[in-house]
Amino acid sequence: MFEGIELFGKAIIGFLNFRNIFDALWSTQLGIIIGMLPGLTATMGVALLTTLTFNMSANNAILILICMYVGAIYGGSRSAILLNIPGTPANAATTVDGFPLAKQGLAGRAIGIATTGSFLGSMIGMVAMALFTPLIGSVALKFQSFEFFWFAVFGIVICGNLTAPKDPLKGWIAGFIGLFVAMIGMEGIHAHVRYSFGNTDLSGGIALIPAMVGAFGLAEIITVMRFSTYEVVKAKIDRVIPRLTDITRYWKTIVRSGIVGTIIGAIPGVGEDIAAWVSYDMAKRSAKPEEKEKFGKGSIEGLLAAETGNNACVPGAIIPVLTLAIPGSAPAAVLLGAMLIHGVRPGPLIMVEFPTFIYEVVAMVLLSTVAMFVLGLSLVRSLVKVLTIPRQRLMPIIFVLCVVGSFAIQARLFDVGVMVFFGLLGFFLREMDYPMAPLVLGIILGDILDKNLRRSLVLSNGDLTPFFTRPICLAIFLVTVFIIVSRTRWFTALTGKFRRSPRPAA
Amino acid sequence: MTEKNMARADFFTALVLIIFGVTAAVLAFQMPHVTARGQSPYSAPGLVPFLLGATIALLGLVLLYRSIKRTHLHFGINRESAGRFFREEGTRRMGVTILVCLLYTLALGKLPFPIITFLFVCAFILAFEIDRKAPREKMVRTIVFAVILAVCTSAVITGVFQYVFLVNLP
Repeated sequence: MFEGIELFGKAIIGFLNFRNIFDALWSTQLGIIIGMLPGLTATMGVALLTTLTFNMSANNAILILICMYVGAIYGGSRSAILLNIPGTPANAATTVDGFPLAKQGLAGRAIGIATTGSFLGSMIGMVAMALFTPLIGSVALKFQSFEFFWFAVFGIVICGNLTAPKDPLKGWIAGFIGLFVAMIGMEGIHAHVRYSFGNTDLSGGIALIPAMVGAFGLAEIITVMRFSTYEVVKAKIDRVIPRLTDITRYWKTIVRSGIVGTIIGAIPGVGEDIAAWVSYDMAKRSAKPEEKEKFGKGSIEGLLAAETGNNACVPGAIIPVLTLAIPGSAPAAVLLGAMLIHGVRPGPLIMVEFPTFIYEVVAMVLLSTVAMFVLGLSLVRSLVKVLTIPRQRLMPIIFVLCVVGSFAIQARLFDVGVMVFFGLLGFFLREMDYPMAPLVLGIILGDILDKNLRRSLVLSNGDLTPFFTRPICLAIFLVTVFIIVSRTRWFTALTGKFRRSPRPAA
Repeated sequence: MTEKNMARADFFTALVLIIFGVTAAVLAFQMPHVTARGQSPYSAPGLVPFLLGATIALLGLVLLYRSIKRTHLHFGINRESAGRFFREEGTRRMGVTILVCLLYTLALGKLPFPIITFLFVCAFILAFEIDRKAPREKMVRTIVFAVILAVCTSAVITGVFQYVFLVNLP
């Protein structure tokens, strides 16, 4: 415990120099701008910055990427409040109460509330990260192939279930396609090249970053360009600094949303959008009757819940990245890729191989959160002008950055082709309601699933019993089965029958 | 997408998934069974791809069954509905975006990066902003603006990536 505080203190002191503070400020500001612009997501921002930070030291690069991540998730609240269009999917719940507040002439107050909520959410997530990452890391050290196999299956099932609430089948299909994509190229046990059809580029496998830039970048560009224009609400931006009473009055909502956001963040692949919706829904359910009526019409509590939840998810999503090398969200997946590029190997051995790194990441989250809070409350009026840039002038620049970002990592035109392929695939899949998060998570988990299933079967000589008798395996298996069964029609009918049946008299 | 269109799309997606899953499983089965090398059969490289291919085909079957139940195999696709789709403004904008982006990526490596980037940005802006019915002055202004933005984009991206961040460009 005290050792942790000491390591955290040392990490903070290490980051308090001009270079790091300057890096934190520009990358957070860039993140806010990227988040603000509909069509540019946090995932895309982190992926494109990975290319720019290629030649930097690991700590500098990861700091910049975390600042971009935190800034973009917060920045999306601006367009959600002023345009009624979420800047990133994470801010969809923000539009419900943020836009009505702007229409009432309270745009400045709404931006202040969103900034404070995001700040407090990130801080709660950061505390949870500092407390639980070492604990989870030490538990993860005991995991063997059997547990990792079930984690991979569980990740796909729960991610598919939560990111496609209307039709989980499509979420699972997207996840299994992602797992299959990871099978392309040379496998890690016998070095056999799978599904390359003699193509040398394919035998190297499908790289994560070009695929993600395509699925989240090009797909988004095509989606955005389908519609002509959006209009900014011409609301006067009043006082941005939040009132203390707005915060103290809803402290329970802030704490609840912060905890919920962090927990959802830690679930593989689920991400900030779900965290925001769940936090919003829980705030609505537990609100006082007079406050409940305001939800959807400009509720301060609703706006606080959504923004606290989505930003708390950011540190939450980094927890499994560090301890299990499994990302909690799509931007965290790129962060994982960037860590690997910079020679940091996240996973159960991180506490052994890089003992100070966890606390350095906690310090980075703190720095980015403070930068986001300061920048979020300043330059508000001038930044709103960014929202008026016509999309046909912005999107070609973004596409050029997508091309450069995909090409730069390995200097192969093949990766640009991968980006375009996943962009088109992602666009058409999204049009048909297939979520992208399970697809991306599948690409990451594919290798874990493949190696660990085969390793486990070799260890047990084909005996399937250990997959169901080891305590952690059994628990993950039962939860996975429950998630699948709970989405079947007969289960819904059965629970509905129980709900409808009258309660016996006391 | 409307529910009817979605069910229709699901039917064709399901067929693609089934064919894809079965092909992937067959190809996985043809991968070396490593027992000949004295290795455990459970470490065979085709094991997991086979299971994944089979699962994708199975999920495709579920999707197919569900879409047949919804559409009763009446898809209602005719020349008129297809024509309506292609005449929509959104479809035109989507088509232009995909076409311009594809042409740009196909030209990469064949011409110097700054030149094709300039041409791409210029073409993209003009494809969406030029209005033939607009007065000549406005058209000239649009073209001049597109050229200036394209020159700046091409120069800044090339300069920043190649000389500041030392990143290779196509």
